[in-house]
Order: sequence, then C-alpha cells, then structure tokens
Amino acid sequence: MINIMVAGVGGQGLVLATKIIAQAGMKAGYDVKTNDVVGLSQRGGMVWGSVRIGEEVNSPNIPVGEGDIILGMEPLESLRWSYLLKDGGKVIVNTKRTYPSSVILEKDRYPDEDIEELKDKYDVTLIDALKLAKEAGNIKAANTIMIGTLAKYLDISTSIWEEVLRDNVPKKAVEDNILAFYKGYYHGKKE
Amino acid sequence: MKQLLTGNQAIARGFYEGGGHLAASYPGSPTVEILESLKEYDEIYSEFSVNEKVALEVAMGASLYGARTMASMKHVGVNIAADPLMTFTQTEINGAFVLVSGDDPGMASSQNEQDNRIFGKFANMAVVYPGNSQEAKDYMKISLEISELIQIPILMDITSRVCHSRSIVEIMDRKEVKPKGFIPHREKYTMFPPHTFKAQHFMKDRLEKLREVAYDMPLNKLEEVEGSDTLIITSGLMYYNLKELGLDVSVYKLGLVYPLSEKRMRELADKYKHIIVIEEMMPFIQDELKLMGISSKGKEYFNFTGELHIEDIRNGLIKAGVIEGEEKTYQVVDTVKRPPMFCSGCPHRPVFDVLKKLKVKVIGDIGCYSISALEQWDVSQIMISMGATVGMTKGMNKVMRRFQDDEPLVSVIGDGTFFHSGMTGFVNLLHQVDDEDNMTFIILENSTTAMTGGQPNPSSGNFNKEDDMRVNIKKMLSSIGFDNVREVDQFNYKEVKKVIGEEVKKKGISIIIATRPCALRFKIKEKNFYVDPKICIACRTCVRTNCPPIRMKEYQGIDKLKSFIDPDMCVGCSVCSQVCPVGAIKRSL
Repeated sequence: MINIMVAGVGGQGLVLATKIIAQAGMKAGYDVKTNDVVGLSQRGGMVWGSVRIGEEVNSPNIPVGEGDIILGMEPLESLRWSYLLKDGGKVIVNTKRTYPSSVILEKDRYPDEDIEELKDKYDVTLIDALKLAKEAGNIKAANTIMIGTLAKYLDISTSIWEEVLRDNVPKKAVEDNILAFYKGYYHGKKE
Repeated sequence: MKQLLTGNQAIARGFYEGGGHLAASYPGSPTVEILESLKEYDEIYSEFSVNEKVALEVAMGASLYGARTMASMKHVGVNIAADPLMTFTQTEINGAFVLVSGDDPGMASSQNEQDNRIFGKFANMAVVYPGNSQEAKDYMKISLEISELIQIPILMDITSRVCHSRSIVEIMDRKEVKPKGFIPHREKYTMFPPHTFKAQHFMKDRLEKLREVAYDMPLNKLEEVEGSDTLIITSGLMYYNLKELGLDVSVYKLGLVYPLSEKRMRELADKYKHIIVIEEMMPFIQDELKLMGISSKGKEYFNFTGELHIEDIRNGLIKAGVIEGEEKTYQVVDTVKRPPMFCSGCPHRPVFDVLKKLKVKVIGDIGCYSISALEQWDVSQIMISMGATVGMTKGMNKVMRRFQDDEPLVSVIGDGTFFHSGMTGFVNLLHQVDDEDNMTFIILENSTTAMTGGQPNPSSGNFNKEDDMRVNIKKMLSSIGFDNVREVDQFNYKEVKKVIGEEVKKKGISIIIATRPCALRFKIKEKNFYVDPKICIACRTCVRTNCPPIRMKEYQGIDKLKSFIDPDMCVGCSVCSQVCPVGAIKRSL
C-alpha cells in the first residue's frame, strides 16, 4: 500500500492532480481510493487530496503515521500535513510559496525554519516547479512537474502516466504537460 | 468496465443506469457535482433550480407523472425544501422519488452539522446510507426500484467525505423505463383533510413492509466472526474506516439505516453480549435500538460532532473495551493557519474594503462573501442562513428605531442568494416602511453562484442553454416598488466608496447593486500590476485589501519593506492601484 498526501492551496488544481494520480494507479491494476476537500477552502485556503494505492484499499483516509509521500504543491502546506508521514517518509516540495493572510498582514512569519527542519526527519526533495513549468512552455503545468517527480517513486509505467495525462488535460496543453511530466520525472537525475 | 468515480459521480451514474428521467438540485457543497455529472446524459432532464424548495417541487411533479426522479441538495437545503417534502411524502409515490442529502459531519463547508437521517424518519421516508462510490451507485439503483415497488420516498443520506472521495465502480448499461403517466386520484394526490387521514396509515404501512424486508436485505451486511461476543453496528464510510483496524469482531453494516428490522435486531441482541454502535453525529441507530428495548453503547465512546476517522474509531473501541491498547492522540503540526481569502481579482474586494473603513454594522449572508466575516476582514458581523440578512436587517432596524438607536445598518447579499431566498425578504421590506429607517442593502452581482464552483443562477442564464433566464435585478426591484436602487461597478473604487458612503448616511431604504463578473468563474486575466518600490511609501493600504499576490517585501538597496505584487498570481483587476495614495502601482505593458 502506498499512501500519498497531495497538499496545497485552493486554486492550485489539487483535485485534478489527485484524480490523475489515482487514475494512473487504477490503470496499473491496483485498487485506489482518494479523498479531497472541496468547498470554501478552495478560495485560497488549505486544500489537500489523499491517494491510497494498493491491492485492496478500505478507507480513503490515510491513517496517521502511515503516509509514504507528501506531494507538496506549497512549502507551508507540506509542513502542515507532515504529521501523517511514516518515519523517513518522502516529502516532494514545490518551493513556490503562497503566503497566507496572516503573513501578508505581518501578524505571522512564514515558517521557513520549520520547513527546513523537515529535512531532519524526512527525505525531502525541493523542486522549483513553476520555473520548470515555464521551461516546458506552460506555467499551468507546475502540478504535472510535481506528478512527474512523484512518478519516480511509484511502480507505474510512464506510458500509463502519459495516457492518463492525455485523458485529463485540455487538448492543446497535452504536449506541454507530457514534457512537464518528464521534466519532473528526470528532475534531480541530471544534477 | 471499471471507472474511478467520486461518490457524487456514482450517484449520477446510478440514476442514469436506473432509468432516471428528471433531476433537480440547488448547488451546495458537498452535492454540487451530482447534477453537473448528469449533464452528459441526454436521456435525463436536469436543472439547477432557483432554490431547494423549487428543485424538490420540480422533482415532485415529475414523480407524480410516474417518472423516475431525484432531487439533490446539501443537508441545510432540505430545510428549505421541508415544506413540500413533509406533505409530498404522504402521497403514494408514483414514479421513483429519491432525495439525496449531503450531510457534512465536521462542517468542512457548512453553517451547521444537522444529521438528516432524522429528517428522513421525520418525513416517513426510508433512509439509505452509502459508504463508497460503488455503494452510492448501487444504492441509487436499488432506491429507484424500492421507491416504485412500495411507493415510498427514499432519502439517500450521504456524507461529504463519501460525496468527494473516489473509488472504483463497475459501469453498467441503462435500464430504460417509461413513465407511467399521471392518473388523477383525489384521495391520493390532494393533500388536505380528510384525505390526509388515510395517508397517515399508508405511510405507516409502507414503512412496516420495508421493515420486514430489511431482515435479510442485501443492503445490510452481516459479517459474523466465530467466538465474538461483541457486535459492532455501523454504516457508511465508518465501516471502511473500521476495516482498516483489521479486527476479529462481528460487524453488521447497515445500508438501510431506517427502518431497521426489529426481528433481526432482536436476534442479534440475544446472540451478542455487547452491541456497539459506531455512527457520526447523532445517536440515530442507537435511539432506534433503544425504542426496541435493545441496549447498546455508542455515543459514550464516539464523538457527537465531527467525522469518525480511523484513529477515533480505534480510540473509541479501546474505551469500550473491545480492543486492547493505549488510546493515541496524534499531534497535528501547529503552524500558521491558512483561512480562505477573496481570490485575486475578486469583484467583492472593493465593497468590503470600503465597509471596513466605514466601520459600520454589517449583516452578511451565505456565499464567497462569507469570507468577510473572517478575522482578516471582520466586516460581516452576523451570518446565519441563505437569504436571512434581509429579514434580520429589517427586524434589528425596527427595534433600534423604537429604542432611539439610529445607527445605520448595512446588509450584503450575493445574486445567487438574492434569487434563492432574498427576494421575498425584499418584498417584505415594503411592509410598514418608516422614512426614519436607515438600511442599506448591497447586492453583490457577479453573475454566478461562485462559492460552489460557479454554477449559473437567474442572473447568468440557465444550466443547459445560454442566456434563457437573465433576470434583471434592478428592474425587478423597481417593479416591486423600490425607488432608491443604484448600480455601481465594483471595480470603480472611488465610485463604490462614494455611493456606499452616501447611501449609508441617507435615511430610508437604499439598495446598491454592485456588479462585476466573478474573476474565477469567467477566468478573467488581464495584464498584471506591479509596485514601483521607489514611489511606494510602505503605507500598506494595498496590502490591507487582502489580495493573495500582494505583500510587503525586501527590495535590494532599499531599507524599508515595500509592497510587492506576485506577477504570476495578479489578474490585473486594478483595485490595489486605485487605493494606492501615491500612484506607486502600475499596470505592466
């Protein structure tokens, strides 16, 4: 069983990202269940989606302490959900910050130090997904970059990922998204 | 064929496969997607009605004709629809009638946490309670059959988690059914005394029939474990959460939570030493058992509010002595909160910025503009239910007048909410008008029901066909009899400030229609704005408009923090540049 928590901010397209990951799991022959939050928090609030992939999945909820991977579309949100992770779990973080209201109004500080400390406990990969997405020719493909990086750790073939992306992104954005997927997939390998 | 579907999509699919003919709804989280998913099926007439009451009435009409029908709404929507519902359920159901209620334990996006299983019982309906997408689809199809077979209305009570979670569903073909037609029958369909006397007995009898069938209905699954002296009775997603614990204990999973088979429950009570009920919110099943004289435990160990996650079930069962171990409380990460914000380019921003500066009393309503009640705004000071602002403002104003309190009151309502249930409140304003009243009503017209994802409403055209229902709010209010109705473009900050300021000072009833399409729904994106840090005086006026891309930032070579606009997030609405006192914010070329 692989438990993935997708974490981010309302408006980042998490519902679609969660769906894409789950469909890939299903196409690879696994049982899958997902959860996500919909509603008022979509307006710039904290949003999340859970994906569980395995032989048989009962609950769509990830039990606390059994998370394998956090796919963090935003650093603070990656920190927020880290309590779900197993010891030594993976955190894939998009480094682009989105500032919450209290930070904008200078009542709170953005918790950079706490985010940095995640590295002590977990296997953290940082990605400038926005930059890579721009390179892939589509600023909206940042989530696909992240999915590409996630795909490295899952036993699902790249042809399945390609197929699922084709099914889920607008026709004119398919090429950019597939390029973005591979940019994420090979991220780090070059370095 | 297998597909990955959300609970909502599965309900829609089940309705299609089960030969559904007509579905009506009003958008409300968590059930919005049901009707949206029906769009792809030409065989089904579907609509987002003006409110839940109308949606239910549309469904009632179709059911009376013998068509297979569904009405779907969020739990509090059933309150709006309760009047027709409570009487319609007295009739002998002709075409299948299923009401889907999306309950929200934990209140992810609702103003209360009411448990609508109780509504089902109250309305003499059968209540089914699915726990995943396959069940959502299956239960819908079974409900359509049962509803026609014993002429009973069915409530599908589904929780927000099951609505939104995805799981794998087996897809099947549609069963084509022809509506039976409407055959007039005075006693069956005209609900007043003495016809309603007989109806009481009919309602009781059909529930008794179902109670008998419930004994070995496949909707209810009994999983017995040899040697277990405890039986856990549960339903919905909680069953799947329980399964995560992998316990050796007998479980009775109820798909039909009302009515329960008394015969089955007695047999089980005789067989098991302990009965533990795991249910979210109210002790509904536990109360039903109590009425049968069967003792059980449940709410002693499981919270009366919020969802019951895997961890809560484990802890509860430890308390109950069913499993051994230590109760675990998990520590969430205590970090900076992220409450929702008005979107970048949200047309409501100037109105609330002005109201905040005016420091007036504001009575709010339900919609994206509920955000104005959050700490960062603190503008709307009262928020209860859909459309309530209009009546509440009048009521408060009337007592204020009697006690010589002449402080002005401001009421804000969105266009969707205005049509949903604000209109009648507006008509009522004209009753016992007093020239000394001081009420200002601001209608935020963004041409969509934004909070639930941008569904159309009467000011934006209909669900399937473009522009067939574009109601003009100003004309409507004028013909009701209001003289003082002003329209203002929300993005003209100076004008918004002037108009609101003037109307708040003015006695009598003022109505301001603040217009601008929703930036999110209509995907508005214009050239972004940027701050010239050399001109910026760091006054933070722009930051206080609480726009996601705007914050204070360190610039190289400048001592003080200066304002900064994230170019990737700015959609170019210009409001920040209009509030800037020194002209430091400019549009990029």
